[in-house]
Amino acid sequence: MKRWCAILCASQCIAQNPLPQFRDMAREAGITQVVPNGGTTSKQFILETTGSGVALIDYDNDGKPDAFVASGPGSPSRMYHNEGRGKFRETTAELGLTRQGWAQGVCAGDYDNDGYTDLFVTYWGQNSLYRNVGGKHFEDVAGNLGLTQARTRYNTGCAFLDYDNDGKLDLFVANYLKFDFDSTPQPGANPYCFYRGIAVNCGPRGLPFDRNLLYHNQGGTFRDVSDASGISKPNGNYALGVLTADFDGDGLTDIYVACDQTPSILYINQGDGTFSEEALLRGAALDESGKALSGMGVAAADYLHEGRPSIFRTNFSDELETMYRNRGKGEFEDASIEAGLGQNTRFVGWGCGFLDFDNDGWPDLLLVNGHAFPEVDKLNIDVHYRERAILYRNNKGHFVDISEKAGPGITTRHSSRGLAIADIDDDGTEEILVNNQGEPPSLLRQTAKPSGHWITLKLTGVKANRSAIGARVRVTAGTLVQTAEVRSGGGYLSQSDFRLHFGLGSSTAVDRVEITWPGGAKQVVRGLEADRVTPIREQ
Amino acid sequence: MTLAFLVVLLAQAGSGIEAFQRGDYKTARNLLDQAPASDARAKAFLSIVRAATGECEAVAPDLARQASGSDPVLRRLTALALAQCHIAAKQFTQAGPVIAKLEQEFPSDPDVLYVSANYHMKAWNDAIYRMYQAAPSSYRTDQLSAEVFETQGRMTEAIAEFRKATAKNPRAINLHYRLGRALLQQSHNPAALDEARKEFDAELALNPSDAVAEYQVAQIFATQGKKAESAARYERAAQLRPDFPEALIAVAKLRSEAKRYPEAVALLEKAVKLQPRSEAARYALMLAYRNAGRTAEAQQAKTDLDKLQKPPEGEFTNFLKRLGEKPPQ
Repeated sequence: MKRWCAILCASQCIAQNPLPQFRDMAREAGITQVVPNGGTTSKQFILETTGSGVALIDYDNDGKPDAFVASGPGSPSRMYHNEGRGKFRETTAELGLTRQGWAQGVCAGDYDNDGYTDLFVTYWGQNSLYRNVGGKHFEDVAGNLGLTQARTRYNTGCAFLDYDNDGKLDLFVANYLKFDFDSTPQPGANPYCFYRGIAVNCGPRGLPFDRNLLYHNQGGTFRDVSDASGISKPNGNYALGVLTADFDGDGLTDIYVACDQTPSILYINQGDGTFSEEALLRGAALDESGKALSGMGVAAADYLHEGRPSIFRTNFSDELETMYRNRGKGEFEDASIEAGLGQNTRFVGWGCGFLDFDNDGWPDLLLVNGHAFPEVDKLNIDVHYRERAILYRNNKGHFVDISEKAGPGITTRHSSRGLAIADIDDDGTEEILVNNQGEPPSLLRQTAKPSGHWITLKLTGVKANRSAIGARVRVTAGTLVQTAEVRSGGGYLSQSDFRLHFGLGSSTAVDRVEITWPGGAKQVVRGLEADRVTPIREQ
Repeated sequence: MTLAFLVVLLAQAGSGIEAFQRGDYKTARNLLDQAPASDARAKAFLSIVRAATGECEAVAPDLARQASGSDPVLRRLTALALAQCHIAAKQFTQAGPVIAKLEQEFPSDPDVLYVSANYHMKAWNDAIYRMYQAAPSSYRTDQLSAEVFETQGRMTEAIAEFRKATAKNPRAINLHYRLGRALLQQSHNPAALDEARKEFDAELALNPSDAVAEYQVAQIFATQGKKAESAARYERAAQLRPDFPEALIAVAKLRSEAKRYPEAVALLEKAVKLQPRSEAARYALMLAYRNAGRTAEAQQAKTDLDKLQKPPEGEFTNFLKRLGEKPPQ
């Protein structure tokens, strides 16, 4: 009887909130260029499997997020300017973004506090720090500012963060492993070069580990402080997605790194310029059976309205997605099954992000998928190289999979990697940009506007960094209390809009917004109207 | 016998061993035949050559005697030859003790392990053949076919065979459990969970004290978000078998969720005692200590877990390390 009641309740809840319908509007928006990333029917090297990320940033301060798509060789990474009314125009060449290579991750931040958002792109090879010159041009200043690397590195996720709260953005860069074309074994060369009996590209197991990097912003140049800060200490992890947040609520930004086939990393900021790696004891390294999973992408949200960021991580096929619920003080417990994430085990998940597609005030969850090995299609099993996305509706803290009924934008199969989220037209619904290997990107948009009210907050730091990265926001609207944080990087090697979007349900106004700026200064704003983008400048 | 002649014979014996080692059994046989009777080494190699050239039956008593000799090198070689003779003759009953003794004395020897694997494989093949001959339509034959497919990862075929077996003998213990497990392994489709649960419940109907089937049902309920049902089944699995570490871990998690940390710790300490190498038990214990505020013990549990998760040293690990040492170009 109890069970029938539960089923009845679930169906009524869904009936009250119509299912969203997502459609891919990339082609009509003008985002049409294919993103090459190695082979599409077979991949000889692991390097072909991990790229690439995307970004939605407003590079020219016209109020509309523009789209950046990182690419493997065969195409430059491309920028598309948001022209409004759902249209984009490619501006790659005019902005000076001509570089080609194995671009992996992208993260943004105004590192020089000049009011224009700069872009950092990681590569297998030297990274690029694109300084934004007045919104009209990008110049690669990595070499001039101390970011040149002494050897070829496989840089992946990245994030700007102000770890010492000095108002200047520092930079964290994850490194996957040591790779070169000559010495990496060929598919089938050793037991780590097989998947279900078929020869595939080797790794990450069997390939040498590398160490992560932290660069301190000296006010004009960057200095490598990886060793001094303790960031380079972990040496047994294949690092991919990067997520920054104040996980333990001490006012300092910590760093979480999703790691492939090895324990994930949680760097806890000690407040003295150093970090301590504490993922295992804090319960965010392994799954609930004490096994390391293949972590790829990572996102954070206060999905239970507890006032704390919990961590979601995408993993490989035959593994559960992971939800690490933040119990407080930065201690986590694996709540994947409890959160409703126990059943999707055939997907290799990459990009992920929380968005409130129905504006009900509960962050929903989207992840995009695609197997690492195109060769898997030869096996004729239920695991595929190209896969649909997964969309979960957050039903008051419990996630319900609505993917199959959420429209062709979700159900169409791609081998996707990074995703970024932004409300590209300020209409109160968030769009999603997805990087698809060997295909044009997707731009997912809902066909109908949800009924819930919303507010988007655009924060600007004054004492804090201009991008307000690290600012924590608590929004109260009636009985709804939500928290979020402005962050650089995240998801899978990608950058979402800095602006914070909150669904408000039936509330037509926000009672109170409390901002804790990096450094600890608090600011309260009261009585904001709903359904608009509201700028808030640090006082 | 003159000393000079003895030297010649010993040299011939030495040459015979060399000929054996390069695989020239004919020459080896000729030279070793002429070795003095007192040369135990030459005689042992002669027995080995004879065994290798098809005279197993004749030479088996000599090999058996030489396999109990004092020289470990000769003991190993003659025992290996004797074991191979028995395997070739399908004398598995005789081969078994010889191989067991070899494995006891030379536990890491690749030749010994190879012969042992060969013995088990051939004995297994022989038994299967006899089974297919004697009882081709028995449910046991279907069960065995299913298990073979299972080891090959061919789960669809395995399920079909398990179904045939359960249809023939629905009351056979453990068959429904195996079918349920195969169903879970075959598909990522959430619908398979219910199908598998039916089989585990069928197993429990036959054997209500099957704690492992009970545990599987609990896991399925948990995955489906049926928390209360899952908790009840975990509790029951632990009651049925208080020495079942996985069930203890699951129940400990329930206690932790209820903030009954001392009870969780006690259950997990027991699980670790039962299965000291279980990463799941150690990890859960570490978190339980942490949740209970027993920081020092949590740290110690972390250290224990770190040791457990260190990859085992061995030939393959070393090979991988060498790969890892290649500097990037």
